[in-house]
Amino acid sequence: MSLLELRAVGKAHVRRSRRIQVLRDVSLEVDVGELVAVWGARRSGRSTLLAVAAGIEPPDSGAVLFEGKDLTARGGTALGDGVGYCHQGVGGASGRRVIDNVRAGLLARGVSVPAAHSRAHEALQRVGVERLGDLILGDLDAAEAVLVAIAGALVLRPRVLVIDEPTKGVDLLERDEIVLLLRSLANEGIAILVSDGDGSGLSDADRALTLTGGELRGRRTPEMGALVPMRRLGKRKAV
Amino acid sequence: MRSPVNWTVLGLVIERSSYGWELWTRFERLYGDVLPIGSESNVYGALDALRDRGMIEEVREPRTGASGAGRQPKPHYRATAEGLEAYAAWVIAQAREHNRRSFLFARQLGALAQAPETALGILERYEQACLDDKGARIPTVSEFPARVVPGLADRLASAYGRNVMVATFGWIDYARHEFMALVSEKPRSR
Repeated sequence: MSLLELRAVGKAHVRRSRRIQVLRDVSLEVDVGELVAVWGARRSGRSTLLAVAAGIEPPDSGAVLFEGKDLTARGGTALGDGVGYCHQGVGGASGRRVIDNVRAGLLARGVSVPAAHSRAHEALQRVGVERLGDLILGDLDAAEAVLVAIAGALVLRPRVLVIDEPTKGVDLLERDEIVLLLRSLANEGIAILVSDGDGSGLSDADRALTLTGGELRGRRTPEMGALVPMRRLGKRKAV
Repeated sequence: MRSPVNWTVLGLVIERSSYGWELWTRFERLYGDVLPIGSESNVYGALDALRDRGMIEEVREPRTGASGAGRQPKPHYRATAEGLEAYAAWVIAQAREHNRRSFLFARQLGALAQAPETALGILERYEQACLDDKGARIPTVSEFPARVVPGLADRLASAYGRNVMVATFGWIDYARHEFMALVSEKPRSR
């Protein structure tokens, strides 16, 4: 059983009274410690695929399973409860401080302010941008915004991280840094699914797939057995 | 001079003046997977050929330290201006050859207009081969044969790999649409 699984997922959007089939019978598995990248051209449905995989958008048909359980049958989403998601661009109000944005998810879950602050700081440190904590979101450049968004997802200690185009808009010479960070997070045992439009995300992926015409092509299941982390994930001290 | 090994060794000398064994280790690390040569004697052969053509020249390496005293100095090579000029011309010719082969493949696929299903099968396999190709990996510090920090050549190769991959996926998508249209037209033409 894979950590995250899409089973024969179908999804359509309605644009100006026209129904457009975005995903057709898409199946995909992502396992512990895997970095899986999906390349697609503009309007290929890659963002929809990720939103469905993260449980943000329900599929029209098929199922999305996290740890073997149907996300839609759980009556909601596993977001923040095992699944982390980063959409494109900066999340949160642009006038908010970075540290406040990163810890917001923890405060919403009842974590005390000092503990949330400490964990947010750890998360920023893990992605290498602890220096940005006191800046406001609107002042970040594209690479910094992505790293802060990843920190905001990591702070909730996800087992699966779904990231929509992490290198979009990022300076050409700064993209590798982001991909290498994702690689290192996967090496620590987090299952990572990213979309990609410029090829950067494909570089260090364990599996690369393409999404064209609503169909996913490539190796849809892990090639090796599940990786067994050296430590139990639930007991990790580091974020 | 037709040997790609000779030209590649010239490129390594241009990158950094050096001696035979060091050039061999750099050759192995940077090109071992795409241009296997098996033995370092091929590098020495290339150096002889390049020197005979005036593309590189031998310089005397000053002996340093007590360990070097009394030992024969290693032949050290650097590129000449003629070597640099010839190398640039060869690199451009290689890029043209690469483009020519790509066009050849695209046109040869066009011969399958009467067998679009076969063409779609080829595209499927070609796409999978591209997806499986790890040539675009981001270069990181490696331990072969000693600790190696990736250089400009590694980064350029990685960026080239990923850009070609994306362009190829875009072309495969287009070609697939063409052949799928032919498949759907087929019954009507009977």
